[in-house]
Amino acid sequence: MIVLMVAAAAGPLAGSVAAGCGARARAAGWAGAAGAVISLACSIWLLAAELHRAPVSGWGGYLYLDSLSCFFLFTVAAVTVLAAVGSVAYLAAEEDSGRLSAFQVRLYFIFFGLFAALMLAALETGNLGLLFVLIEASTLASAALVGLEARSSSLEAAWKYVIISSFGVTIALAGTLFLFYSASGLHLAPDLRLTWPYLFGHARALAPESLRLAFLLAVVGYGTKVGLAPMHTWLPDAHAEAPSPASAMLSAALLNTGMYAIMRFLAITRGRLGDGFPRAVLLTFGFLSIVIGVLFMVRRGNFKRLFAYSSVEHMGIIAVALGFGGVLGLYGALLQTLNHAIAKAVLFLTSGDVALRYRTREAAGVTGLLAAAPVTGGALLLGSFAVLGSPPFGLFLSELTIVRAGFASSGAVLPLLLLALLAVAFVAFARTTTGMVTGSAPSAPAAAMVADGSRLARATAGILTGGPPPARATTRDGPDESESGAVLTAPAPHSSPAPVLEAPYRGRWTALAASMPLVVGLVALLVLGLWIPAGLDAVIRHAAAVL
Amino acid sequence: MQSLAATSAAGVLLDLSGVLILLLAFACLGSKLFNRYVAYYGAQSVVLAFAAGVAAQAFHSVELWILAVATLAIKGIGIPVAARRLLVQRLDLKRDAALSTGLSTSLIAGGALTAFAYLVTRPQLLPHGVVAAAVVPLSTAVILLGGLAMVVRRHTVAQLIGWLIVENGVFLGAITLVATFPFIVEAGVFLDLVAGVLIMLVFVSGLTRQLASASAAELRELQG
Repeated sequence: MIVLMVAAAAGPLAGSVAAGCGARARAAGWAGAAGAVISLACSIWLLAAELHRAPVSGWGGYLYLDSLSCFFLFTVAAVTVLAAVGSVAYLAAEEDSGRLSAFQVRLYFIFFGLFAALMLAALETGNLGLLFVLIEASTLASAALVGLEARSSSLEAAWKYVIISSFGVTIALAGTLFLFYSASGLHLAPDLRLTWPYLFGHARALAPESLRLAFLLAVVGYGTKVGLAPMHTWLPDAHAEAPSPASAMLSAALLNTGMYAIMRFLAITRGRLGDGFPRAVLLTFGFLSIVIGVLFMVRRGNFKRLFAYSSVEHMGIIAVALGFGGVLGLYGALLQTLNHAIAKAVLFLTSGDVALRYRTREAAGVTGLLAAAPVTGGALLLGSFAVLGSPPFGLFLSELTIVRAGFASSGAVLPLLLLALLAVAFVAFARTTTGMVTGSAPSAPAAAMVADGSRLARATAGILTGGPPPARATTRDGPDESESGAVLTAPAPHSSPAPVLEAPYRGRWTALAASMPLVVGLVALLVLGLWIPAGLDAVIRHAAAVL
Repeated sequence: MQSLAATSAAGVLLDLSGVLILLLAFACLGSKLFNRYVAYYGAQSVVLAFAAGVAAQAFHSVELWILAVATLAIKGIGIPVAARRLLVQRLDLKRDAALSTGLSTSLIAGGALTAFAYLVTRPQLLPHGVVAAAVVPLSTAVILLGGLAMVVRRHTVAQLIGWLIVENGVFLGAITLVATFPFIVEAGVFLDLVAGVLIMLVFVSGLTRQLASASAAELRELQG
């Protein structure tokens, strides 16, 4: 059992090792993907075994696995597989086009593996202090990914991310401290006084005042990582500036790991202080996040920022679901976590594909995706509807469960408010993405000319179809950006009806790596919307009972 | 035995160190020179190392001795020297002009935060007569002052120092409130701190090279 757990956490390190030994993007990427698949296999094995046995504990409580951590382990491992396969395509394309140096590519894979491994390890520890250490370490590893492209905007985003998150997590450490202190009445060895199962088992004996403070500090501190408003300010910048597979990891894995830490504190606090106090805290932060996320989604602009604000919204929904509580609310929260993770991974990987093809991150600069790249366009369209909670997909089911939990536990006002906010989010989000998918695509050279003098431009120059290429600004070109964006939104009169954008990937395997995670993710979402596998259902039930 | 009695010799020494650490945080808040920020942070860490030594002596704890020495070596000497060599001297930083409020305003706000820290942590939370009851409000105040320094200072180096002061505040709370914090965890926190400082040094240097001055006030590209 313990071997499996270690293997699950260490799997993604394969890519780091390969990159550290000097492998190029493709080799390191496939090594990392293989490692991630091993992690996923181990986590499924653990999940299956977990159904029939008590929680596993080892190394003095530093290693601990119950159904809640199993479920999160599975979620994060699944996202890691999707993002690792997507990384192969994205990084290979960036390396081929000369936009990232070989050193940057190697750095990317080293930190990507480290980041994934640290998060998986964080989910396997029962010691709340070690949980803090691992989450903070994963912050640092991911900050290196955010700042990887070393443009001033990405360094700025990375700085904002690392300083705000480190500060936030330090607050969570203070919370952990007070939790430890609240247990000073217990006769336990010091090592065990931070061990979750013991604290949970003895929750009734904890000192209520310092536990209250500990929970508040933990929600604020880990909430900074989760992106709960008003501590979310780093999130859109970091998600917009990181390489897209890393954005997928941030949004679909890192935020969930933070939420997992909050859930651990929540379970202990519920055991001592009852439902009232944690519910008030979580509903406040949750609804604030949903409102902030929805408001900023109305603005049209950088599509990666749009996805990031959608993550703020969804984390708010999960917090609200935890606040509603009850078996239904907790079930909904966990189901929502899994669904959102897969949907957002698909969307961010799509955004990477779009950014590679169009060389812009502005929604206004992207039209006709469905005609130009059917797989990507289709994935973007279906992925947006999935993430917005349209019926055939899993998020419909989980959001419905959460609303039902709200009606069951806290009257009609809050769930109706939630529904109204979801409706606004639907309109705001779909307005932007449908605009990107439909329409006619710009002619091929337009997308390529931006990468000034890049090899990609030279490669595609051969298929110039005539006509002056529209002057397209890169994402960060200052004042004339909006102007040229406006020019682009009006379809050029002489553009051919079915233009071909040069695919940014060389080689069949790289192209496959780009589209495979999108298809697999969407199929998984569809399956989760129509039929929840019995084993998964049982694990979620067990996990909800743990809380 | 969790917490020392306030009247014991060790308790008095810890109390005194706590007050000194708070004063040094105030000194940092009231200064405008990068050299001073680093110097005050270094002095604060040395006092913190002393406090950890006192606690180690009182609890006869080898782990705490290790932590005290590590604090002295890394926070008291390593980080200040690195910050001075790699940031202040190499980037030729002298006066910090990127303050969002005047010095007096931020000092008054700091005083208010200190009072707030006492209000929050004093009643009910801590039993009377133990040294923690005196030091935990101090450490809370240091955490809040560090946060305040990060808010009113816009220069990235100043924000980094602010975060380090917050970390010192948490550490002060840790050694007095829960001297028996598991060692693996303490060591991990320490490693994270070192890694964090390293990565932040890289970012600050990179930003400075690109922006000419690494003031967070000029970090305006990403908004909304």
